[in-house]
Amino acid sequence: MYDLGQYIPRQSLVHKLDPRVKIIAVIALSIIILQADQLGLLLAGISTLLLGLVVLAQLPPKYVLQALKPALPFFLCLFLVYLLFTPGRTLLLFPLGPLLISYEGLMLGIVQIWKFLLLLVAAALLTMTTTASELTGGLQRLLRPVKIFGISSHDIAMMLGLALRFIPTLQNEMRNVRDAQLARGAKFNPGRPGGKVKALGFLAVPLLLNIIRRSDELVDAMEARGYQPGRRSYLYNPALTRTDYVIITLIIILTMLAVFLPAG
Amino acid sequence: MQELIRVSNLNYHYTDAPAVLHNINLLINEGEYIALIGPNGCGKTTLIRHFNALLQPSSGDVSICGLNTRSTKNILEIRRLVGMIFQNPDNQIVGMSVEEDVAFGPGNLGLPAQEMRRRVQAALEMTGLQGLEKRPPHTLSGGQKQLLALAGMLAMEPKMIALDEPTASLDPDGKNKVLSLLKDLNSRGIGIIHVTHNMEEAALADRVLVMEKGEIIADGSAANILSRVEWLKSLGLAPPRITELLWTLQQQGEVLAGNIFTVEAAAKEIGALLKRLRGFEHV
Repeated sequence: MYDLGQYIPRQSLVHKLDPRVKIIAVIALSIIILQADQLGLLLAGISTLLLGLVVLAQLPPKYVLQALKPALPFFLCLFLVYLLFTPGRTLLLFPLGPLLISYEGLMLGIVQIWKFLLLLVAAALLTMTTTASELTGGLQRLLRPVKIFGISSHDIAMMLGLALRFIPTLQNEMRNVRDAQLARGAKFNPGRPGGKVKALGFLAVPLLLNIIRRSDELVDAMEARGYQPGRRSYLYNPALTRTDYVIITLIIILTMLAVFLPAG
Repeated sequence: MQELIRVSNLNYHYTDAPAVLHNINLLINEGEYIALIGPNGCGKTTLIRHFNALLQPSSGDVSICGLNTRSTKNILEIRRLVGMIFQNPDNQIVGMSVEEDVAFGPGNLGLPAQEMRRRVQAALEMTGLQGLEKRPPHTLSGGQKQLLALAGMLAMEPKMIALDEPTASLDPDGKNKVLSLLKDLNSRGIGIIHVTHNMEEAALADRVLVMEKGEIIADGSAANILSRVEWLKSLGLAPPRITELLWTLQQQGEVLAGNIFTVEAAAKEIGALLKRLRGFEHV
């Protein structure tokens, strides 16, 4: 299932954009989205923008929708909470208890879900148009200033890169552990939520042990190749172009406007 | 020949445990092709881990090109000089693409991007992985992953590569590719230390070291060591099947050479024997 939000190779403008610009854009967009308080107009604007970017990036809408799918149960719960626990004008009264559906609750629920959807789409746009290595490389260069706190951006990028690199390996491993347990008569009953949690526990312990053993070997292999924390050099070191700077400046100005105008 | 690795009076023990290596003395020259054999737990892995400073001696010294592994300022250069390949290729891959993984070592050396690219290209060509630059490593076959690990080492431009059972988890095709690459690298002047349980693989080496209980108990040419069939068996090591076959025939009184390790050599020897027998019939 890891291919949710996975990189989709295309020759689009969005793909070619420097990863730093894309990361900044997603952060800015998140700030704007979370700041927007029930402003239908602003949300509609951002929705159009994101939709436009999906088209520009030549991403099949099907994949984008697929990336949203795992979040659906969460959305449903969130929507129900807003729907049932927001005081306001009553739309529908339940015969039992204090639960009621209010107009405000309905609207708030829709707006909140919409915001989360937009955040997810923005994140999916980033990961679908940027390879994992571009992403970690971009992050490394963006985080250079954390040096003043005594943290090396090279180390952060290395950690993130290793985590991403090992996702497919660990998924494979999880399948193996599962198969090994099934072969010995374990029952993974997906029907009952309790059974599912229990089964997850049985998977987690051997998986964790395997991860520790693996990381031991990985550390040896990295040291054998001369790894030392801190400064290192990279295969690709793209410089920001003038266009990149213009876009970043625009993003920052727009974010400022969106955040401070409604308040003022 | 230039001296590459010098091990003098090396002892090693893990904390509060009996010694794993006893008083090892060893000289390895540049460009040698060495097989290191011995039963499980005899200290083969522990020994080669001293060659690139992954382990420090408890007493005694290991030096690479005159650089002592105890000195921390030598470590990066020592690790560049002696590469190390482990058994499981999956756990040696760091990069998210083939080219990035090969560039990991050069990146640690802090080389400029242009030099990195040149070395990555050269290493991929040597290992036959060119064309796979952008592939995510987890989509490669086991043999390709081990070749990738070797490419990552070659990009450091080492003088010697130590391999710890590199073919143990590979299929026959992957195994053959890795072994023929080792031969090829050796002919380019790169030294090889191959830790193995497989005597057919050991027979590819020029020099064979045998370890038991933390000591080097024999050091000689492959022909000399691997033809001692009974002795190898007493150590719990299986000599090459073909050597054993000819040795058994020899025990039965047939006139055969004792130091034969490959099917080709055996076929020649048996062919010669048959010819001699046919000669007798005609008389």
